Amino acid sequence: MLLLLPGVALLAGVVLYPLIAALVTAFFEQSLVLPGRTFVGLQNIVEVLQGDFLRLLRQTLVFTLGTTILPFVVGFALALALNTKIRGAKVLRGLMLIPWLVPGVVVSFLWMWIFNANYGVMNALLQTLGLVDDPQAWLAQPGTAMGAVILAKTWQSFPWMMVMLLAGLQTVPVELHEAAEMDGAGTVRRFFAITMPHLKGIVGLVLLLEFIWNFQHFDIIYVLTGGGPAGATQTFATAVYETAFQGYDLGKAGALGLLWMVLLMALVVVYVRFSEKGEER
Amino acid sequence: MSTTPLMPSAVSRRRMLQLLGIGAGTAALAACAPSAPGSSTGAASAAATGGAKTDFAFSSWSFTEEAAAPALEAIVKAYQDQAGVTVKDISFPYNEYINQLTLQVKGGQFTGAAHVDVAWLGSLAAMGKLQDLSALTEGRGYTDAALAAAQFDGVQYGLPWTIGAIGLIGNSDLLEKVGVAGDAFPTTIDEFEKTLKDLKGLGGGLIPYAASTKAAQLKDALIWMETFGSPLVDGDTVTIGDDASVEAVTWYKSLYDQKLIAADVDRFDARSLFAQGRAAVYDDAPVGRGAVTEESPDKDLGSKLVPVSRPVLKAGDSPRALVWGGALAVVDGEGAETAADFAQFATSDLDTVLADYEVRGLPPVTTEAQQSEVVASDTFGTQFNERITATSTSNPFWAFTAYSQIETVVAEQVQAVLVGKTDAKTAMQKAGEAAQKLVG
Repeated sequence: MLLLLPGVALLAGVVLYPLIAALVTAFFEQSLVLPGRTFVGLQNIVEVLQGDFLRLLRQTLVFTLGTTILPFVVGFALALALNTKIRGAKVLRGLMLIPWLVPGVVVSFLWMWIFNANYGVMNALLQTLGLVDDPQAWLAQPGTAMGAVILAKTWQSFPWMMVMLLAGLQTVPVELHEAAEMDGAGTVRRFFAITMPHLKGIVGLVLLLEFIWNFQHFDIIYVLTGGGPAGATQTFATAVYETAFQGYDLGKAGALGLLWMVLLMALVVVYVRFSEKGEER
Repeated sequence: MSTTPLMPSAVSRRRMLQLLGIGAGTAALAACAPSAPGSSTGAASAAATGGAKTDFAFSSWSFTEEAAAPALEAIVKAYQDQAGVTVKDISFPYNEYINQLTLQVKGGQFTGAAHVDVAWLGSLAAMGKLQDLSALTEGRGYTDAALAAAQFDGVQYGLPWTIGAIGLIGNSDLLEKVGVAGDAFPTTIDEFEKTLKDLKGLGGGLIPYAASTKAAQLKDALIWMETFGSPLVDGDTVTIGDDASVEAVTWYKSLYDQKLIAADVDRFDARSLFAQGRAAVYDDAPVGRGAVTEESPDKDLGSKLVPVSRPVLKAGDSPRALVWGGALAVVDGEGAETAADFAQFATSDLDTVLADYEVRGLPPVTTEAQQSEVVASDTFGTQFNERITATSTSNPFWAFTAYSQIETVVAEQVQAVLVGKTDAKTAMQKAGEAAQKLVG
């Protein structure tokens, strides 16, 4: 028991105390700059639920689903391609990891430059191809901003999906494919009858982990759009930051954080159950 | 065939439920906790200099700006050499600066000298950690106007460093192409809009007016609201939502729809577009001169910069401009005494101020510096003072500690109008109501 003490103390000091202290503010009216705070019970939580909560939930889910499904599709397609005996597969695999290695803030600035309405590469390209007449404000229009943010995040996270899925693909026994081929199964049939069942566990795991991470994602959204235009790309992560550090309202930020954490805990429970099932298999 | 999970399950379902229980218990305990007493900010401690010099930290957004950084580095070096101390420089980009500084001051991680926009003094003073610097102003020659600009609630929370204004700056070359001489800039809004249309007609992707359209700098819309006749706030009553503010935002939106102003622009984009000759007019303080001339491929751009008075609603009105200024505040704590001495040195030592002026071109705040040959012979600076600073007024929201939040809620609503999510009347009413809650 004594041996556990340092670890428990570290966990309490570094994780539990800040977490609990932050959550406790949900029950107080507290400003970032003014001293003192007043206990207000559930008032902050009620106000958040009656305010922007549903809009934030919807936008967070749009961002999370978009940035989970798109990288999965791209990553899976590339993993399948790299799992064949093409020349230079190892070099390509290494090169494709680069976006994943680039820090989120750098990725954001790169895409900010690509999408810039007045001197961006995207507009220059589309205008050269004759696809648009005037420059488009990709990050400054509610109709395109979320798509642009999802695209930037997809570029950053598809390599991780690709590597995980490629690792899974390489564990599929070749003999099974050879036997099925001898029995007359075509590529598509073998994919759905052999490859996909074999990958079920890893696909579920990467989708779930990616979903949880994206549900909490902050940096690319914040740097690219700051949650704008007019709140169109605001998610729980950016809303908590904005409420606390631009609105100076720690109580409301705490309430938002508490609700956000409850939703995340539900996802974590799903993850734990999924892992347990994996162990049982 | 069995599958080995990539990561073993570290937490059982039962353990997860236990953790959730702990979380719920914590929330319940929080609910039972006694309320901490509210307290006022208390009196600011008075600054003093003269003790033994110690190392301190100095924070400024200008360290992140290529054109301005050398001037600051020179000031810091001169002080280090003179006082025999080490000054640790800290910086954040302007748009993030107030949030980061607030967090650092609140968390006790920053003490020392801080470069602040005079608009932020109220918010920072509310934390009760800024020193009262009034004792350091004696005999240093600061002008009364400059000292007043660096006060909040009658307390000298900052030593003024540069006090000027934000106004319109034009490119005389481009303006002359549509028949507008630098000293004959349109005086009314209607004439101004016609000139913008003429500039648009020049083609080549020229942005006639690189006005702010990103939320971070949409506070610029406030000065147009004042131009249209809105007082913004009357005593403690916010007037945003009145006819004048709605008309101003409607007009701003019409410029946006006609592509006379461009989407996705903040002050730094505007400087960049102006430097490249892709914008004819933009809003800036004198500090912008260094940035645009340094960044421009046109080595002669400096001579083409024309500060112009903001057009008025009807002939005879006084042109509006927003006071803009920087001050040095001192955050109480380790090194504060030397930091206060540094603040006094940087803002009022004549040689230091004039050397700074030659690099950054920011209007100095002491009478002696203002009357010096270097400053008086600067055509751009003189014109800026005559045409813009002379009629500038401070933002009435600066009197409230929630100034930056008020600015944010108004900017978000103006942006919602620009992108077509709502109409000007609804947005301004919402902005006014939100601002009123913050004013109290």
